[in-house]
Amino acid sequence: MHIQFKAAGLSAALLLATVWPALAEKISLKDVTGRDVEVEVPVKHVILGEGRQIYFLAALDKTNPFEHVVGWRDDLPKADPETYRAYLAKYPDIAKLPTFGGMKDGTFDIEQAVTLKPDVILMNVDAKTATEEAGYIEKLAKVGIPLVYVDFREKPMENTEPSMRVMGKLMGKEDVAEDFIKFRADSIKRVTDVLEKEKPKRPVVFVERAGGYSDDCCMSFGNENFGKMVEIAGGINMAKDIIPGTFGTVNPEQVIASNPDQIIITGGKWDAYVPGGKWVGVGYGADLKEARRKLEDLTKRPAFTGVKAVEDGNVHAIWHQFYNNPYQFVAIQEIAKWLHPDLFKDLDPEATFKELHARFLPLDYKPGYFVSLKGE
Amino acid sequence: MAGTALTADIAGRERYRALAFRRIVILVLLTAALCVSVAADMALGPANYEIRQVLLALFNPEVAGNQLRVVIWDIRMPIALMAVTVGAALSVAGAQMQTILSNPLASPFTLGISAAASFGAALALVTGVAVFPAAVQYMVPINAFLMAMLASLFIYFASTMRGVSVETIVLLGIALVFSFNAALSLLEYLASEQALAAVVFWTMGSLTKATWAKVYVTAAVLVVTVPLFMRDAWALTALRLGDDKAASMGVNVRRLRLQTMLTVSLLAAIPVSFVGTIGFIGLVGPHIARMVVGEDQRFFLPGSVICGALLLSATSVVSKMLIPGAILPIGVITAVVSVPFFFALIFSNRRRSW
Repeated sequence: MHIQFKAAGLSAALLLATVWPALAEKISLKDVTGRDVEVEVPVKHVILGEGRQIYFLAALDKTNPFEHVVGWRDDLPKADPETYRAYLAKYPDIAKLPTFGGMKDGTFDIEQAVTLKPDVILMNVDAKTATEEAGYIEKLAKVGIPLVYVDFREKPMENTEPSMRVMGKLMGKEDVAEDFIKFRADSIKRVTDVLEKEKPKRPVVFVERAGGYSDDCCMSFGNENFGKMVEIAGGINMAKDIIPGTFGTVNPEQVIASNPDQIIITGGKWDAYVPGGKWVGVGYGADLKEARRKLEDLTKRPAFTGVKAVEDGNVHAIWHQFYNNPYQFVAIQEIAKWLHPDLFKDLDPEATFKELHARFLPLDYKPGYFVSLKGE
Repeated sequence: MAGTALTADIAGRERYRALAFRRIVILVLLTAALCVSVAADMALGPANYEIRQVLLALFNPEVAGNQLRVVIWDIRMPIALMAVTVGAALSVAGAQMQTILSNPLASPFTLGISAAASFGAALALVTGVAVFPAAVQYMVPINAFLMAMLASLFIYFASTMRGVSVETIVLLGIALVFSFNAALSLLEYLASEQALAAVVFWTMGSLTKATWAKVYVTAAVLVVTVPLFMRDAWALTALRLGDDKAASMGVNVRRLRLQTMLTVSLLAAIPVSFVGTIGFIGLVGPHIARMVVGEDQRFFLPGSVICGALLLSATSVVSKMLIPGAILPIGVITAVVSVPFFFALIFSNRRRSW
């Protein structure tokens, strides 16, 4: 009797403790588009307008990032199957989460969303036009569901920090969000500070997008995305004046004409789409020996004949998914190390990635994201 | 009386000879233009080699440096020749499609052949499903080809049924276009981001996929099919007068139509499966040919071959020169190049060409 009583008291205290900080508090926050949104925080039920927003949530909640997710878009298994499988193995329940389909239109079924009774819907900036055209913000406001925009793809360099802050406020984990932001900023500073001080010669870098995915050679990036990452890491993106937008195709002959000092090819394990293809299968826990062999095969294509990067062995492969991933500061470190091996002798991107996993993420780190023909 | 008939006869013969001569001159001029375009395609490129160097690599490849040789022989030449063969094949396919269906809107695209090819390619790119399981590295072109042939065989067998008119065939084709496009959209809806980008890129068409093997195959198809059409030239010309008139001249209309349809399918399916959907050439090529050399197959057929080849070759030059160093999707540029030309012809040439 006595023990039971004590237990009841304890559980009441526990209950109070868990409920106490969660007592709904209405705050006003600015999302990345500059809208002021009123939300009761911390939120208990979240809809992810894009599945890959879990990259952020995971950094905020090391134990169970899916705890408050009541529905999400189904893009994570499509865009980044390796990460999805890793999460699925750890949290098998995510297979049962209600999903919103469709990669192209970037919007969702509002009726389904309302029935899931979320406290907030997180949308990506890319979906802004579609969301506004459909008048979703007003419709959702009528049932009292606020909509918040975040962004880690359109302008990752500018918007990752504010997005993370917004997420931290929503989840009531502002301190973790600040920790992550500091870790990310410090990691990038380790590259940019050295470059600013030493002002090394910037090598010309050709980034081949998804090399070997199809027979065509030479899809690349304009001034955004990997193109920008290369510039931050102290290189000159070969295609920056050639490709007007973010994505485009470079004439294979141009690679010979520009004679880049370094070549970086993005890759991933694309068995499901191009079985037996020539792509370089880097990624979570990849077989690097095999990846290196395939990378070497790709250098034998006509476009790379006699190019300086190939002659010097400065050909590298990097995980394709860094292109829209908040963890891309690790990629920046690795690219900087490739481009300026002397300046960044002490920099260990692998260790940065390990630390990211150990401090913030629910998943255990597995290497395999990078491979290079240089060294070994 | 007999004397005036004779002079009229002689005058008619003179006129006919003059007309034939004029048409031959036009064909020669078009061929010359094609040669110039191919030469430009070979000579121009971001590597900015001098003409002297290009000629050296062409005629004396052993002496030329490795890079120069690779650029000329492995990068520029397959693309330049692929443009010629693909343009010619699509244009001839469109020409004969228009002839046998007596429909100016007919082209390999009207009958759903290219929509089927796109669907086949997307099936490979999105789901990794090979229709024909061998040779996975050629899964995309093989899938595209098989789906295209499936569509044409369906049309073929449908048209062998009793009471199926030319109009019905066109309608069937349009139904196929919509079905395959719907299936393609569904695949795109389900696709991963990476696969979606590949599908979109594929459907825009691209000559950068060109390899020597593909050039040979496309050229071989042309070499086999064009003489077949040449053999049937008079019968095909007669067909344009109407089925009844052609039949009264001893043409087996039904057999000719079916035979031509099969050949055309091959001509359309092969290039589309190699370079993706390059629209418009199959429609515009034959129309331009018809406007400049007329309906007589002896001139119309070579005219279509040359016009198609010229249009796509010019497109290839423009697509790489518009933004130096980049390659714009050829499907986009085809329209940019041929539409103004086409309009100019339509408005300057108002006598009925169809």
